[in-house]
Amino acid sequence: MRLESDSPQQHAPRSGLILLQALVLGLFCLFTLRLWYLQVHKGSKFSEMSRDNQLRQVLIGSARGRIVDANGLPLALSEPSFALGLVREDCEDVDATLTKVSEWTGVDKHVLTETFKRGKKRVKPFEPLILSTDLPFEALARIEANAMLYPGLEIVIRQKRYYPTGELMSHVLGYVAEANEDELEKNPQLSLGDSVGKQGLELTLENELRGSKGRKQVEVDAFGRQHNEAILEPPQAGKDIKLSIDANLQRESAKLLEGQAGAIVVMEPDTGKLLAMVSQPSFDNNMFVLGVPADKWRELRDNPRHPIQNRVTQGVYPPGSVFKLLMAAAGLSEGLIRPGDVVACPGTYRVGNRDFHDWKKGGHGALDLRGALVHSCDIYFYKLGDRMGIDRLHDYATASGFGARTGIDLPHEKAGLIPSKEWKRKRFGAAWSKGETVIASIGQGYVLTSPLQIARYLSALVNGGRLMKPELVQTEAPRLDATLPVKDTDRQIILDAMVTTVEQGTGKSLLRSDVVTGAKTGTAQVVKLINADVRQKTAQMPYEQRDHAWVASWGRKDGKTYVVVCLVEHGGHGGEVSGPIVRKIFEQLFGSAPARSAKSAAAAPAPTPATDPADVGD
Amino acid sequence: MPFDRRLILCVNWPLLGLTALLFGVGVLNLYSASGFRMGDELSLQPFYNKQLIWGLAGLFCLLAMVVFDYKYLATIAWPLMIVMTVMLVLVLIFGKTVSGARRWLPIGGYSFQPSEIAKIAMLLLAAKILSKRSERLGWLDLAGILVVSLPVAGLIIVEPDLGTGLNVLLLVAGLILYRGLTGPVFKTLAVAGPILIPCGWFFLKPYQKGRILTLFDPQRDPLGAGYHIIQSQIAIGSGQMWGKGFLEGTQSQLRYLPEKHTDFAVAVFAEEWGFIGGIVLLTLFCLFLLQFYSTAKNAKDRFGSYLAAGVFFYFFWQILINMGMVLGIMPVVGIPLPFISYGGSATFVNFTLVGIVVNVSMRRYLFKKN
Repeated sequence: MRLESDSPQQHAPRSGLILLQALVLGLFCLFTLRLWYLQVHKGSKFSEMSRDNQLRQVLIGSARGRIVDANGLPLALSEPSFALGLVREDCEDVDATLTKVSEWTGVDKHVLTETFKRGKKRVKPFEPLILSTDLPFEALARIEANAMLYPGLEIVIRQKRYYPTGELMSHVLGYVAEANEDELEKNPQLSLGDSVGKQGLELTLENELRGSKGRKQVEVDAFGRQHNEAILEPPQAGKDIKLSIDANLQRESAKLLEGQAGAIVVMEPDTGKLLAMVSQPSFDNNMFVLGVPADKWRELRDNPRHPIQNRVTQGVYPPGSVFKLLMAAAGLSEGLIRPGDVVACPGTYRVGNRDFHDWKKGGHGALDLRGALVHSCDIYFYKLGDRMGIDRLHDYATASGFGARTGIDLPHEKAGLIPSKEWKRKRFGAAWSKGETVIASIGQGYVLTSPLQIARYLSALVNGGRLMKPELVQTEAPRLDATLPVKDTDRQIILDAMVTTVEQGTGKSLLRSDVVTGAKTGTAQVVKLINADVRQKTAQMPYEQRDHAWVASWGRKDGKTYVVVCLVEHGGHGGEVSGPIVRKIFEQLFGSAPARSAKSAAAAPAPTPATDPADVGD
Repeated sequence: MPFDRRLILCVNWPLLGLTALLFGVGVLNLYSASGFRMGDELSLQPFYNKQLIWGLAGLFCLLAMVVFDYKYLATIAWPLMIVMTVMLVLVLIFGKTVSGARRWLPIGGYSFQPSEIAKIAMLLLAAKILSKRSERLGWLDLAGILVVSLPVAGLIIVEPDLGTGLNVLLLVAGLILYRGLTGPVFKTLAVAGPILIPCGWFFLKPYQKGRILTLFDPQRDPLGAGYHIIQSQIAIGSGQMWGKGFLEGTQSQLRYLPEKHTDFAVAVFAEEWGFIGGIVLLTLFCLFLLQFYSTAKNAKDRFGSYLAAGVFFYFFWQILINMGMVLGIMPVVGIPLPFISYGGSATFVNFTLVGIVVNVSMRRYLFKKN
């Protein structure tokens, strides 16, 4: 049978058979070569391309740290909120979808289109582009019910910052809000729709609070859908931060200023820790978290009482007589006065061809330093300032921490102003006049200080001369910034004078038997009134011309010392207006005064001079 | 019909074995290719089991092609061709349009593609006509065969179904080359071919031109025409030497690979089984083709030899064009890879044609009886 098949009587064309063999051989060689080229020669390159194809790195958000008060009471929290996102890749008709979303959420279509356009540049097509944040429950339900008809819409759960204390802590905490283009540009870790600190501690402690995002690797298919995921780097939650602020004290202090414009600072002098930092009027920082509506913003911005401003760090005021504390220290330190030297106060002091008056018509007669401080004699300090000269005054005040930022962890702090000859030349192109030195030496004229600077300076006087950084964070170690250029004995003289002020002088409203209290009041003129005779009673003056009422005080009981500074903007007389406020704060700090002393304080709620309408210079 | 029991002894087991192997590889590969990932799960679409059912049905087609003497195929060649031509005309008029192509003729409750049967008819007819010639083909012979085949191919191409039309033409061309041309005809065509083929460019549709241009530069349209080529090469290349392993092909499971169960099925295979697997599959195909070669060589008559050669070309061109396309050395044309690509009618036709060749090969010793 074999023979037959090999017979010459073949039916297949020879050339054809050769062709078939050649084709099979060619096929084998061609594809073997090609497979070798693709899989072996270029294999690793294609392998890499396949990995790039399928693996993407995605950031995982980190939980923002909480902020709590000294007692652990929450002041800033993150709570879940629902946002509406749009995955572009899955969306069939963007315009129709946005129209629907506008209908559901009540957000203007225009705004949504704008958000969408902005987001397109940053958000990858397979990731949800956030159109609307913090959906109310009704909108959420409506969207959930209809989402099937509009593919690509996705409810995204995000963190929303919430401040349980609202306006009580707004100036300290600030607020977070959606990151803007600049912030996104600066920090590659941020994604569109992320919140960042914009003001207050939320801004300055941003890096600690935010933590760091994690990274995960997700396997993505050709449609961008995510499959397996592996965490490459877990997110690091932000640090919880404990403040030195006592929310209770803060609340009671804020109540005392209600309806007024002003500031209260309570500081622990040894550490610089702030127990209360109140600025009134305030605003609700929760409003900013989701973007403040334009009309509300305008209302806040145009409010003549500037609720947004933190008066403690950003409000700068003439310190008035409170400045005499510094002047006394300067005079002693520079050797210009001795405590026992007696100076005559005839009621006026002439510099050049101008008379400068004391707040007390007719003057105080002869006074030593203690008397000058207790009775807040202007003439004593006019004379001292005149002898010192503005530049020495400037240098000494600057060395004591004035005219410069305190370095507190809050943004946009103001430095205040201590004038000098050079400053005036630069600022006004004019020569300094001696009269301006005289005015400056009672904390008027160009001199501007913030309540925080006063509190810090007073703390240094109390704590042994150490100028501390004002600190809001409980866990931070106290930081010594400078040492006051004042001898301990001189310091003690000033502190003693402050105690006497409470016992006998303008600070009588603070007197209580169980607490050693020292104070200096100040009534800072807002309008330049050369002639004290034409001064009116506070109540008769227009609000914006009324004096600022200062009290800078310290109290010590059972080894605990606190510095309390109160400023009531356009409040009128310092001792009269701010005194009772400070008294109540000490009641918070040390408990109510024993009955006996409370009675005596009630009997003399205001010092006698305050009843005198001409008592403006105190 | 007398059925000689000795026929059983002469059955071409290697061909049947290779067919079964290729089909098995195909189903296994489809099992993987039909999977795509949803979350962590691998979800399988029922391509592989459908293919299995069609394969079993195809086995009956194969058996049906074996039981009778293949010489009867010569007698039905003409009638079948005429019926199929009429159907191809009908399909153009009454055909069902699916995604832009009029290829299906509804008969009863079913749709069927006349072009698939037309391929078989063309094979039978070409083998019949050519087997009448004992010499190399002259001008007249060439004209004769082209007069029959060109209209059929044309009708299929205008459906449009370029792949099948091309398949028919190439099958006929293969058979003509197998028979051989006389010197002058061959020389003329050898010169005219390279001149005429570029002219064909002007008859191509823009998307077809695009596919050819893309072949030379896939990056010119990476998300359009070039996408298939790029992703297919990434899939194959990333398989490297040993492959990613069965059911581990990320390119296919994550749906980067288009048409992964039909035209690009072999890319899934190469991704998962690597260069080694590719060579094994290629070897299987070559051995498979060599079975047709030896059948063509040893057939008891010219008709049988041409039938076997025709089936050789039928498979050869599909393997060449499909793998060439998937490997990025030929333009994208919708031609499936026999046994590997998913497709019901293709599976029927493939098994039928193998059946015809088994028939030819098992009757090679029986010529004395005729």
